[in-house]
Amino acid sequence: MRKEFPMLLTVVAALTVILSQFFFHIAEWNLMDVLDKWLNVMWGIAIGLGIVNLSVVHGKKIMRRAPGFYNSVVLLAILYVYAILGLWTTTQGYYHAWIFDNVYAPLDSTVFGLVAFFITTAAYRAFKVRTWEATVMLLAGMILLLGSAPIGEAIWADWAHLRQWFLDIPNAAGMRGIVLGIYLGGFATALRVMLGLERAWMGAMGGR
Amino acid sequence: MMLAQDGPALGIFTAGSVAAFFALLVICGLVYMMIQRARAGLKIPEIRKIAGLEAIDEAIGRATEMGRPVHFTPGLGDPYNIQTIASYAMLGHVAKRCAQYDTRLLQTNVDPFVLAINNEVIRQAYLEAGRPDAFNPDDITFHSTEQFAYAASVLGLYERERPAANIMFGAFWAESMLFAEGGAYLGSIQIGATANTHQIAFFVAACDYTLIGEEMFAASAYLSKEPVLTGTVVGQDWARIGVFALIILGTILAQIGDTNWLATILKK
Repeated sequence: MRKEFPMLLTVVAALTVILSQFFFHIAEWNLMDVLDKWLNVMWGIAIGLGIVNLSVVHGKKIMRRAPGFYNSVVLLAILYVYAILGLWTTTQGYYHAWIFDNVYAPLDSTVFGLVAFFITTAAYRAFKVRTWEATVMLLAGMILLLGSAPIGEAIWADWAHLRQWFLDIPNAAGMRGIVLGIYLGGFATALRVMLGLERAWMGAMGGR
Repeated sequence: MMLAQDGPALGIFTAGSVAAFFALLVICGLVYMMIQRARAGLKIPEIRKIAGLEAIDEAIGRATEMGRPVHFTPGLGDPYNIQTIASYAMLGHVAKRCAQYDTRLLQTNVDPFVLAINNEVIRQAYLEAGRPDAFNPDDITFHSTEQFAYAASVLGLYERERPAANIMFGAFWAESMLFAEGGAYLGSIQIGATANTHQIAFFVAACDYTLIGEEMFAASAYLSKEPVLTGTVVGQDWARIGVFALIILGTILAQIGDTNWLATILKK
């Protein structure tokens, strides 16, 4: 029963979604809305799991004074203080909103900002002309850069058109080929899960 | 989702879903046929060599030799995202190898649901490898449900634990570049796999091996070498041939200026 019951639930949920998608009279029952509500309830419970995991992992670090344990103290303090503040004043409360706007949001943007620098270093490595594929990538990258930057238009007025052609024709063609494979691959995976051929998600290995 | 208020098509279908429904039936039929062939012991084509999947064992082996851990992330996908579902099989394989080689596996999560599932996947893999004693639930960690808080936390983990192999397998967004480049700075062997087309280029640029799109969905069949699972991949390929035939037909019709009837059928 440990495997059969989750499988049964999976098949019933999957059939509910599929039949609601295709059949008019079943779609009218709004079963998808019911499933969405259940999902929201489960999400609330799962967040608790996450908090327990964080508390256990970092609590153990603090208990055994592992290197950098003070970071764990800060993390747990922020987690619980901010959660209690949110429960007490609601998320619209002045202090809760102030911390979000002035601490969380700038930190979030800063980490996102790192992406720009990381893209540059990754591009430098990837664009080194070592193979013919890297050469093609370099040329395509150059054309797109020159087509997007003002200096490109100053050199040759048609860079922007060439860039657009690259995006609309070769890039779109390649991308659609990949997307087509992704949808078919995703569908085959979903089918394997529904048929019980792939049960790794239940902790069963070897695809069975 | 198709809107019920549009009125039924052909009396029973939601608007715009008739062609999709029959396409679904055809694809299911092809996959079923290949599964039956495999079960009957008939010959089915093999999956071509996929470098990124071949490199998994090499990456874990290298981490073992260096005495450093392996890091696995399924990205930001929900537990019901098909990419996350595909990642469970890969995680099981990686965990089993780590258990066999006695290498530490660090598994980070952004979603508490996925955390619980991955915990079970890894526990089972260690059990199957005959090393349940080596399973350490503290190495399977939840970090944050927020994208960049998770990314910052994982980068911190890279600095502290210095994983020698970094396996990114699932749905990724902007954090893909942070993970892949952070791993590259450490000199980790990196394997990236995602079906999010906007992130594939980043993995190609920063990783040693990249599974592009559908290759990640073939992973469970490829690694298990099970004929029945391989049969589903072959069935999917037959469906692809059918779609390509439709594309060619559409292209020819577009050239002769008559695409309406085909478009009308497909939009039904």
